[in-house]
Amino acid sequence: MATDLIPMPRAESNTLRAQEESLRAYLAERLSIRTRFAPLSDVRAFLVSAARPDGPKGLVVDASTSVAERIYLYVHLAAHVALRHNVPVMTVVEPRGEPTTDAPIHRDAEELARAMWWGVGGDSHLGELLPSRRSRVLRAVLASRVARGVLRTALVAMRHAYYRLHMGGALAESRLTATLRRALCVTAVVCVAPQLVGRRTTSSR
Amino acid sequence: MSAGRRRTCETTPGARPDTVTLVRIQDTARVSQAIQTLGVGRSLDELVDRLYVLSEGSLELDRATLHRIARGKTRVARAIDTPEACIRLYFALMILGSEQDLPLETIVREGRAVLAGLVGDPLATLIVGDLERTLPKLTDLRTLREYLEEALRIWLPI
Repeated sequence: MATDLIPMPRAESNTLRAQEESLRAYLAERLSIRTRFAPLSDVRAFLVSAARPDGPKGLVVDASTSVAERIYLYVHLAAHVALRHNVPVMTVVEPRGEPTTDAPIHRDAEELARAMWWGVGGDSHLGELLPSRRSRVLRAVLASRVARGVLRTALVAMRHAYYRLHMGGALAESRLTATLRRALCVTAVVCVAPQLVGRRTTSSR
Repeated sequence: MSAGRRRTCETTPGARPDTVTLVRIQDTARVSQAIQTLGVGRSLDELVDRLYVLSEGSLELDRATLHRIARGKTRVARAIDTPEACIRLYFALMILGSEQDLPLETIVREGRAVLAGLVGDPLATLIVGDLERTLPKLTDLRTLREYLEEALRIWLPI
């Protein structure tokens, strides 16, 4: 069996990491999905399921994916499970590009994942964990590719300034910091999965 | 545990009691027929050697056991008493069939008969169906191996 160690591909924000960990724990506890990471060159992830809907499931994610991509994959696969695309014994494969087969089921899962991500549908327990729930303003801003890029750059710059100027002591617990952290997390995930703010198009990739 | 299983355990000293009863050959006649079809032209000794090599030593069927399985004389065999061993035997026999230049449909059909005989037809149908759907989507051997490992763990947990 491949290793169960969880490789972190590169320096990522602690907020993103914490988010990824809580979602992974959610998958394990609520959906019986055990996640492991392995080098996969041709696909991003696949989910193998038992015959029963409540049976064990195994999610293998490419070790080189970023934390933001993992968060997106968890939400997307939770949508597949909610739609029962995985039973009985149906392996869900997440390709690197557009799915050439199973396009309809991926489209349906995408729709539900989008609703779950913004907290307007699907699993309410999962919705409670997501930083994006009911963020109407952020959703509207992130719908534009240009605005997405600008916002991400601005938030990353603020993050650098925060640490460089040692503002942690004064602002660590402030609402502003919490809001900015949440915004950075949501923006990072939407940047790697722009389909969360609209239909996936080639230009938005 | 049935009396029959207990008797089988008693005749296989040294076998691990927690794994001996996990898998039983459910259709001995069909498995026997499939083994004979897939191993056509080979003696039992050759089959035993080839299965050992193909499974990299993990499927240690002795000649007498294989003889009993191939003749439909036993429902339990120590060497295939775990789910992994079932899958190994399933794959190894299909490779054997391909080495004999049997038609693809025959290999798939007989291989499936072996799997169904070992794990039951409903699960075998689902497994074979998922293999057929999923394998074309995986182009890298490493990914394929990860898939097979994960599938084995999920479908046939020990």
